Amino acid sequence: MIKENNIKLIFLSLSLLLIILIFFFPFFWIITSSFKSPEEIIATSTTIIPRSFTLEHYNKILFNSDFFIYLKNSLIVSFSSMIISIILSVSAAYGLHKLKFYGNKFVEYSLLVTYAFPGVILLVPIYLLFAKVNLLNSYFALIVVNVLFATPFAVWMLKAFFKLIPNEIEEAAYIDGASRYIVISRIIVPLAAPGIASVAIFCFIISWTEYLFASILISGDDLKTLPVGLAGIVGQYQIDWGFLLSGAVLASLPVILLFIFIGKYFVSGLTEGAVK
Amino acid sequence: MNKILLFFITILFSLNAYAVTNVTFWHMEGVPHRVDRIQTLIDEFNSANPDINVTQEVQNWGEIYAKAPASVAAGTAPEILVGIPDFTPILADMGAAQPVEDFVAELDSKYGFYQKALDQYTYNGHTWAVPLWNMGLSLWYRKSDFEAAGIEPPKTWSDLKKAAKALTKDGVYGIGLPGNKQLYTDQTIYSFMVNSGAEEIYNSDGTLRFDNPQTVAAYDVYKELYQYSAPDAANWTWGEAEACFASKGCAMILQFTVISTYDSQAGGDASDLGVIQIPHANGKAHRAGTVSYVNSAMIMTADEAKMEASKKFLSFLMEPGNYGRFINMEPGLFLPITEAGSKDSTYWDDPVVVKYKSQVETMLDNSTRGSLFGFTNGNTFTSISSISAQNLLAQTLQLTLIDGKSAKDAVSEGMEIMTEAIE
Repeated sequence: MIKENNIKLIFLSLSLLLIILIFFFPFFWIITSSFKSPEEIIATSTTIIPRSFTLEHYNKILFNSDFFIYLKNSLIVSFSSMIISIILSVSAAYGLHKLKFYGNKFVEYSLLVTYAFPGVILLVPIYLLFAKVNLLNSYFALIVVNVLFATPFAVWMLKAFFKLIPNEIEEAAYIDGASRYIVISRIIVPLAAPGIASVAIFCFIISWTEYLFASILISGDDLKTLPVGLAGIVGQYQIDWGFLLSGAVLASLPVILLFIFIGKYFVSGLTEGAVK
Repeated sequence: MNKILLFFITILFSLNAYAVTNVTFWHMEGVPHRVDRIQTLIDEFNSANPDINVTQEVQNWGEIYAKAPASVAAGTAPEILVGIPDFTPILADMGAAQPVEDFVAELDSKYGFYQKALDQYTYNGHTWAVPLWNMGLSLWYRKSDFEAAGIEPPKTWSDLKKAAKALTKDGVYGIGLPGNKQLYTDQTIYSFMVNSGAEEIYNSDGTLRFDNPQTVAAYDVYKELYQYSAPDAANWTWGEAEACFASKGCAMILQFTVISTYDSQAGGDASDLGVIQIPHANGKAHRAGTVSYVNSAMIMTADEAKMEASKKFLSFLMEPGNYGRFINMEPGLFLPITEAGSKDSTYWDDPVVVKYKSQVETMLDNSTRGSLFGFTNGNTFTSISSISAQNLLAQTLQLTLIDGKSAKDAVSEGMEIMTEAIE
């Protein structure tokens, strides 16, 4: 029995190691390559651990480009989109889960259909619409688009989390005289924190990596987000690989930091033991 | 009462005298030092012309094909838009790009445009854009590689095949040719078509003449040469080819320029860097040429004041003394498009151009013989945008490189695909 358990453990450990290698190796390679000299980056004999070490690519991107402007814009757009998406999706998911109204299911499935709609088809109509209401070249335009694309799926994700919260907890609160607002804000939201954290990360990443609409709806350099700004400065005919690699590393940092910050809310079994 | 009226009229006229005409300049040169150079010129222009305010807005090549027509439809188009030839027919068709033949003729009389540059923007009785700079593919190599192999730089396709074979050894690929369904591949295969006498893809009535023996010959030689290219060439764009050459992984490549990367990442020995025109089909020296992309400025406004302001700004850029600095926003990549520009000291004085002078001279010479598919001899039709936007020249090439069809069958199928696309 012990021998069988050991084999299982070894097998699981190896599988885990393999997955870690597959997922982390490209990122590891990007990081190490971003410190290589330009000659070493393009050398035919590939190196995993750099033979050379230079900060010139970071120096160039941080001090000879509009990186900080793009970063500021991305942070404003992504955090705003994330917060608005969470507020909307928590309300919508709770409503769809708890409130029984005519067309409940229809609304629920309609949300999925809107999510399945390819965004690129909406590109020109949204551009024309925003031009009419004078919204082009504004943070608000990007926030609206990001919320539009992130919220439907976020609602579905949150609805699944709400289903895990036992009804008895809510009922107990109502018996004690709590209003629906109190129930949502003091009971549902804290209990669904892991789900909300997942949705927050999902919405943030959708906004952080959104390229197509950001490149169409924004024309001025002062409002460009990171993906659009970096794509522009990398060049078409001549690619500065060091620039590209250091840009990729720097652009990933905020997402990693967000994971570290919100990760603590990923506590499994939060609701365990709440009902006896 | 009259005095009050007179006072207001005076104020009105004074305000009008100080009215500033705003000109928005969209271009796709987003690399920081290019943006800086353009800004320097804009600042000089704005301070010399207080009644005009030019601002630049950098766009991306990937999205401009959707964004520019949308901006026209929404009424938010810029006054000046930089573009390439296959973009112009779409905007001319929409009535957005304004005919500029009189303005171009005026500039031509002053600075002398190369005729091939004007060809790419002259059709339907008008000239639709002001040529700004040129880019033409050349064959790049290291002189020392050829000396070591005991061979001469190639002039014909036979020479090229021999050179590619001889230089393929010790992990080095004899020639780096792309096989991607992408613009770079369109350009490389078309440069072979030009050199076999297949530069025309349209008949004068707008029907296609792509399927002909000269085109088949070009696709055939490309396929033969492709065996000496890197295995990942099926995914290449310009950057990968350049990296392959700079790292000595490829002995030869077809590229607009390698100067910047060669200088910064490959030792920068100017005396060892060779560049020649792309070899021609055997016995077709008179056909020698290349693919060239003349980048231009379209004037997108019909408003008289804005149009005049836009012309004034473009005249300023084309003026010797400014022009060299303008196209040297990326030295050794953008080539002069006028006789006067080719002699502009501000072009030849740039340190990079000084160092690689002989290479730049060869590039410039090659580019003046450049053509572009769908923009030759006035046989230009708006349907070319469907062919170029879908990279159908490259797609046809993939039929032979990847699907293994013969060049003849691939070209025949390619013709069908193109015919369907333009219908």
